[in-house]
Amino acid sequence: MTDVTLTINGEERSASVPPETSLLRLLRDEFFLTGSKLGCDVGDCGACTVIVDGLPVNACLMLAGQVDGRDVVTIEGLATLEDLHPIQKAFEEFASLQCGFCGPGVIIAAKGLLDRNPDPTKEEIKDALSGNLCRCTGYTKMIEAVQDAARILRGEKEAA
Amino acid sequence: MRAFDFVSAESADQAVSLLSEHGPNVIVLAGGTDILVDLKHAKHDPDVVVDITRAEDLKGIEVNDEGLRIGALVTHTQIMDDPYIQENFPALVHAAHTIGAVQTRNLGTLGGNLVTCVPSMDSGPALMALEAEVTVAGPDGTRRMGLEEFFVGPRKTVLEHNEVLLDVIIPRKNLAKPTDFLKFGLRKGQALALVNAASALWIGEGNAFKDVKISLGAVAPTVIRAAAAEDFLEGKEITPENMAEAGRLAVEDAKPIDDFRASASYRRDLIAVLTKRTLDNAYRLAQGG
Repeated sequence: MTDVTLTINGEERSASVPPETSLLRLLRDEFFLTGSKLGCDVGDCGACTVIVDGLPVNACLMLAGQVDGRDVVTIEGLATLEDLHPIQKAFEEFASLQCGFCGPGVIIAAKGLLDRNPDPTKEEIKDALSGNLCRCTGYTKMIEAVQDAARILRGEKEAA
Repeated sequence: MRAFDFVSAESADQAVSLLSEHGPNVIVLAGGTDILVDLKHAKHDPDVVVDITRAEDLKGIEVNDEGLRIGALVTHTQIMDDPYIQENFPALVHAAHTIGAVQTRNLGTLGGNLVTCVPSMDSGPALMALEAEVTVAGPDGTRRMGLEEFFVGPRKTVLEHNEVLLDVIIPRKNLAKPTDFLKFGLRKGQALALVNAASALWIGEGNAFKDVKISLGAVAPTVIRAAAAEDFLEGKEITPENMAEAGRLAVEDAKPIDDFRASASYRRDLIAVLTKRTLDNAYRLAQGG
């Protein structure tokens, strides 16, 4: 077994799992954080995107042993009891999701972008979301929502 | 995934000893963007996986006496973000940017891309055109070789089971050498190259090609140099006609195959076009714009 202790959404968590456990399985099966989705399981669809040490990555492409001691943020770490995260709010306001399966991964990828680049161009948003497949929406409303969330996070606009 | 043991190395030396100790059925894990997929599909069934992501001596980008050293664990994102590489090797930034998508570029490493050794790798052509060398560490010390020697065939390098790739060195003579990389894929994100190509050159006396190097990917069992095209250009005047002729000759240097991504015939057309365009772009860069 592999023993891991890591920070998930600001909280220290530990588990003992078989060495072949992916970070995604660790999050979903050990910690019941099922917001990160299991889609393709090979790094193509982005539904499992989480932030590790500040950068968005595919949770399906890391082994649990590789995240020992590291800092992970999942979709469950964005909202507070009182409020949604501004990116989540913007996705709601713009009706950016339909079935919603890709949503957690897209929103985390958008957060990864806005954390590093608070004022991205449309091309930069497209690039940041190019690792996230959505088969419902055609992406347009997602891009608009990310632009709007960026304005709110920069303090140029009041949250809805 | 089938069961395996997982051990973590804190340095390249420790990785080599762990690989020797647990070998031969061991595998090195870095960014994992290829290896995790292979493990899930049981292409690899190792007894032990040696994680090297914590080996600090495999990280870092710096200019030293030998040239530009890029540690094997440097990610594609780190190459894109490095100020020295942005200033001196825009082709490396562009090549890194064409790989996968943000998530895989944050995980995937330069060393991993070279060691996985698929013929369509996007890290290969620009580095080969810049005559990059790699350092390999094993139980008996280190050895240094060019990429042409390092690449053996599809998914095969010279690495033995108990060796690791330490770093990639672009030699001093080629620092800031004007270089261009182009990839033709079917999409912007998550696409493998149908063909990719890179050209590096200096402008010699009389506006002549000097030390021109051309490299092609996805058109042979490994990334290759286009020797006939290079030989033709060396010392000749830099003209669109000579660039076009080099493109035609580069087709002869390659052995493209038919597969589900493209026909060999289409790839031959792409080789000619991309060779010519990378030469043209590198020339513009050499002129300062």
